[in-house]
Amino acid sequence: MGRRMPRGRDEDDDELDEEEYEQPAMDDEDELEDEDEEEEDVRGGSSNRKRRRSDFIDDVAEEDDEEEEEDDDDDEDYGGGGGRGRGKKQKPKRRAGSEFFDDIAQVASDDEEEVEDVEDDFIVDAGAELPDEDDGRRIHRRPFVSREDEQEDMDALERSILSRYAKTSHTEYDEETTEVEQQALLPSVRDPKLWMVKCVLGREREVALCLMQKYIDKGPEVQIRSTIALDHLKGIIYVEAEKEAHVREACKGLNNIYLNQGIKLVPIREMTDVLSVESKEIELTRDSWVRMKSGTYKGDLAQVVDVDNVRQKVTVKLIPRVDLQALANKLEGREVVKKKAFVPPPRLMNVEEARELHIRVERRKDPMTGDYFENIGTHRFKDGFLYKDVSMKSISTQNIKPTLDELEKFRHNENGDASLSTLFTNRKKGHFMKGDAVIIVKGDLKDIKGWVEKVDEEYIQVRTSIKGIQKTLAVSSKELCKYFEPGNHVKVVSGAHEGATGMVLKVEHHVLIILSDTTKEDIRVFADDVVESSEVSTGVTKLGDYELHDLVLLDNMSFGVIIRVESEAFQILKGVPERPDVALVRLREIKCKIDKKTHVQDRFQNTVSVKDVVKIIDGPCKGKQGPVEHIFKGVLFIYDRHHLEHAGFICAKSHSCIVVGGSRSNGNRNGDSYSRFGGFKAPPRIPPSPRRGGRGGGGRFEGGGRNRGGRGGHDALVGTTIKIRQGPFKGYRGRVIEIQGQSVRVELESQMKIVTVDRNYISDNVVVSTPHRDAPRYGMGSETPVHPSRTPLHPYMTPMRDSAATPIHDGMRTPMRDRAWNPYAPMSPPRDNWEDGNPGSWGSSPQYQPGSPPSRAYEAPTPGSGWASTPSGSYSDAGTPRDSSSAYANAPSPYLPSTPGGPPMTPSSASYLPGTPGGQLMTPGAGGLDMMSPVTGGEHEGPWLMPDILVNIRRPSDENDIGVIREVLPDGSCRVVMGANGNGETITALPNEFELVPPRKSDKIKIMGGTYRGATGKLIGVDGTDGIVKLEDTLDVKILEMSMLAKLAQV
Amino acid sequence: MFFHIVLERNMQLHPRHFGRNLRENLVSKLMKDVEGTCSGRHGFVVAITGIESVGKGLIRDGTGFVTFPVKYQCVVFRPFKGEILEAVVTMVNKMGFFAEAGPVQIFVSNHLIPDDMEFQSGDMPNYTTSDGSVKIQKDSEVRLKIIGTRVDATVIFCIGTIKDDFLGVINDPATA
Repeated sequence: MGRRMPRGRDEDDDELDEEEYEQPAMDDEDELEDEDEEEEDVRGGSSNRKRRRSDFIDDVAEEDDEEEEEDDDDDEDYGGGGGRGRGKKQKPKRRAGSEFFDDIAQVASDDEEEVEDVEDDFIVDAGAELPDEDDGRRIHRRPFVSREDEQEDMDALERSILSRYAKTSHTEYDEETTEVEQQALLPSVRDPKLWMVKCVLGREREVALCLMQKYIDKGPEVQIRSTIALDHLKGIIYVEAEKEAHVREACKGLNNIYLNQGIKLVPIREMTDVLSVESKEIELTRDSWVRMKSGTYKGDLAQVVDVDNVRQKVTVKLIPRVDLQALANKLEGREVVKKKAFVPPPRLMNVEEARELHIRVERRKDPMTGDYFENIGTHRFKDGFLYKDVSMKSISTQNIKPTLDELEKFRHNENGDASLSTLFTNRKKGHFMKGDAVIIVKGDLKDIKGWVEKVDEEYIQVRTSIKGIQKTLAVSSKELCKYFEPGNHVKVVSGAHEGATGMVLKVEHHVLIILSDTTKEDIRVFADDVVESSEVSTGVTKLGDYELHDLVLLDNMSFGVIIRVESEAFQILKGVPERPDVALVRLREIKCKIDKKTHVQDRFQNTVSVKDVVKIIDGPCKGKQGPVEHIFKGVLFIYDRHHLEHAGFICAKSHSCIVVGGSRSNGNRNGDSYSRFGGFKAPPRIPPSPRRGGRGGGGRFEGGGRNRGGRGGHDALVGTTIKIRQGPFKGYRGRVIEIQGQSVRVELESQMKIVTVDRNYISDNVVVSTPHRDAPRYGMGSETPVHPSRTPLHPYMTPMRDSAATPIHDGMRTPMRDRAWNPYAPMSPPRDNWEDGNPGSWGSSPQYQPGSPPSRAYEAPTPGSGWASTPSGSYSDAGTPRDSSSAYANAPSPYLPSTPGGPPMTPSSASYLPGTPGGQLMTPGAGGLDMMSPVTGGEHEGPWLMPDILVNIRRPSDENDIGVIREVLPDGSCRVVMGANGNGETITALPNEFELVPPRKSDKIKIMGGTYRGATGKLIGVDGTDGIVKLEDTLDVKILEMSMLAKLAQV
Repeated sequence: MFFHIVLERNMQLHPRHFGRNLRENLVSKLMKDVEGTCSGRHGFVVAITGIESVGKGLIRDGTGFVTFPVKYQCVVFRPFKGEILEAVVTMVNKMGFFAEAGPVQIFVSNHLIPDDMEFQSGDMPNYTTSDGSVKIQKDSEVRLKIIGTRVDATVIFCIGTIKDDFLGVINDPATA
């Protein structure tokens, strides 16, 4: 056992050993060296003696090293034990060398020794050798433990020291450690643990030193074993100790330690990692890609041109960021304005340009490589690239993933393939998976295709289909590239297009061209970034608070729809109807999301709201049609799924569109405004009211009295529909729920909420001044006599309605026809709908709702005929093959709208049957009733039919007859006398069976709504939707909405 | 490719159709329901050619509807990778063109159009060879090869190529 082998490290232990040996000797006071040696012999055997001898030699050397101070020190420390004689003197000397950084344990034991000495020895030998200084130190040390205690603890202490160091002393003298022994050295559960302690950044070393000092000063009280500060770990030191409490105790009172942040135990397995030095392999080869870590070029991609491993320098090729102008200024000695934040954009250097700016460009030959460089100042350029010598520390080499764009720039004038293959040198590990199709891109086996069989650390087992190669080939991952064939469906897993899926169109070496599933655009990605997948996804659809297809307001007050979300930016189709304008916008350039529910008017003054299907009849996208997704400032964003650009979005002015389909949200509006909170969840799919077809004519017969529920009942306003003129809800319509002093609570039609508005903020011109108490409709329950009288009308009217209305409906619903194929009409199969409808409830409807479409549906020719149409016929009819399939869906559509109308009717009829007058008015049933009839539920509250106006009656024969309203019946229908002069037969017609004759210029008119309701006048001009009217009575000229005007009959 | 196969479907029939014409009603409803639909497995159902069998109906509690298991023969159309199809061009843009072969929509990317054909924008966007002899525009008929299919629940989308021998325009309405 060569005990002294690892000299430096073992000193402490050696000393301790000796300490152990010595102690008995000292206990026995005047024991001679011989005896001492004897004891040692007992323990260590003869080798001890050998060691002794070597000690002498060592000590000599040490003395040389450690100068005289040590001697002093020696004396100081061990003078107390001076009585031990000469032989002993050697030992202390040797120990002295390490005394400065010695263990406290030893010091402690020294103390004890000295205690002994003081007690017994001291008096005897004191005068002789005891130096003064020592006293002071001893005193300094002693007070911590009382003498008695020490004595008692002596044995325990010895034991503890033994146990603390015995093992290490045993293991450490092994010179040649085999691997097994190395394993044995690994920390086990019995070893002290390593604790991680947070400290102030940059003070790691200081803290560690402080702890050490404390240990030295305080002795065994500090029960930690060691402390480590690692240079590469900021703000952390490690402390070795048995218990957390020990660490805590040791750290107490130290300034720079954050004890409250917790002391973490380092798991046994990781303990070795703390101290193991990771050898960084920088594999820098020519042509590999790196990134700059700092300076102007921070983050820029660079290509290694030359590596100097000795000087730790590399020459890299960069795309210069040189501001030539600034450079010229500088060279000419002009004032250079330093803009801090300005970093010139990367651009290839154009030498000619530089010369034009009178910058001196020298052409020099590089002595080493023999290449020519253009030199401007200290910069070297070649082919427009900047060549720069940088230290290896200033570039990052791991996991460099150049983007395609960057590579494109570099590829400028070199064969791209070579540079691309270098891409794979530094890529992430473990991106190959078993089963991946791969192709070998380098080496002898180049262009062999195969499948990944197994992935090891660096080598990948590849099975090939080539005959004769049975075994798998082990190929370095650097030589492999994923392989795809055109037609594969893949998903992009990293890079700018992460998350996108698509089909491979073309394979160009390592780059795939993929046709994205969603955008139908082709994207270029690295084969490495892609995995095969059957999943269809949109890719990223959300960034920040904004999602794909949101309408957003931009910084410069322009707006647009997000049509694509990229990794850091959005593509936005701007709201410019003239031409499709796509902008790339960063997240911060977006002000907010526009989430406003508005409606606008189309070319024919039909209201267009979100989800209405419109057709563009003007402008660049003429002929396209689709549902409106957003409305803002009179601009519609229409989604046409057949439109492939801009994710299917088209931007158009509202005035260049017409509503073509039944508006679902309109239906909702009608229904919702009454029943939204009443539990009628089923959206009533009410067909567009006929009035839409004409110029806002027919449907004038609005349910003026419909919601005179009078819940509050005290104010005439309650229950009426008003429009808000001012404030945040400006432009909204709603129903007045309640009036509290000056504020009015309004249930908004377009939103599911009730808001409170100032009474002054509402415009009541919408409010029709008909007495709401005797609202005609609600009188129905009591006015039973009306019913019998009207029932016979039905047979009469039905044919009329059918012929007249059906074509309109069909026409209007054309876009809905291909419902089965239509993503924006996600409906259950029409057929089922129709069959599910409860005919029982329909049965009652005609009685109550003479005008409601449901009744018509019920009386319509048997639905069965609908699908009797021959499939072949419709197949060929349809424009696109796809549509053909839906030809069937065609037939039932006229009935469809009625279906949802059915259920709501049921409660209504029920509530009517009891016939309790008055009280019924406010039941939800009443709401349901209204809802069924879109005509009455429209949003035109103002116009209200009046006698003496001309109307067009729709006849079954498709010809329109002019009639004059004679009387408006309380139930909403009108008594109309046929003939322009009112001399024909008299019929009773419902508002949806006729439409108003629009007055022309210089016609006599009657005003049907607003403050001038009832007045007559002359239309002296038409300006868009407004008519200029000269009132008959006052001769005032007023501008009124055309929809308020009706042509007066010439009587 | 077209296949003539037998499929099965459970049909629900409203009680009102019970009677003498039950079977006819069932068949016409089946046709209406099935023809023109597309399933990923079988492709597009082009036409029902016959009824194999109509099983015993099961009356549903509550609704009175009756469920009949119906086996029917039908012609289905399913595009396959590698298949050659003739299709009519429906739209041309700079990314390529769309063509339709019956119910199937096929996209031919400009990467898969011969390199000598260039996109010409304008009123009638088209792909034309440099000498102008061949032109692909809307309503042209092309022969193409399917190189990939994407099968969704209700639609089959294909990408095709005309960059191969004997592929390309077969009939051009403009020149005809």
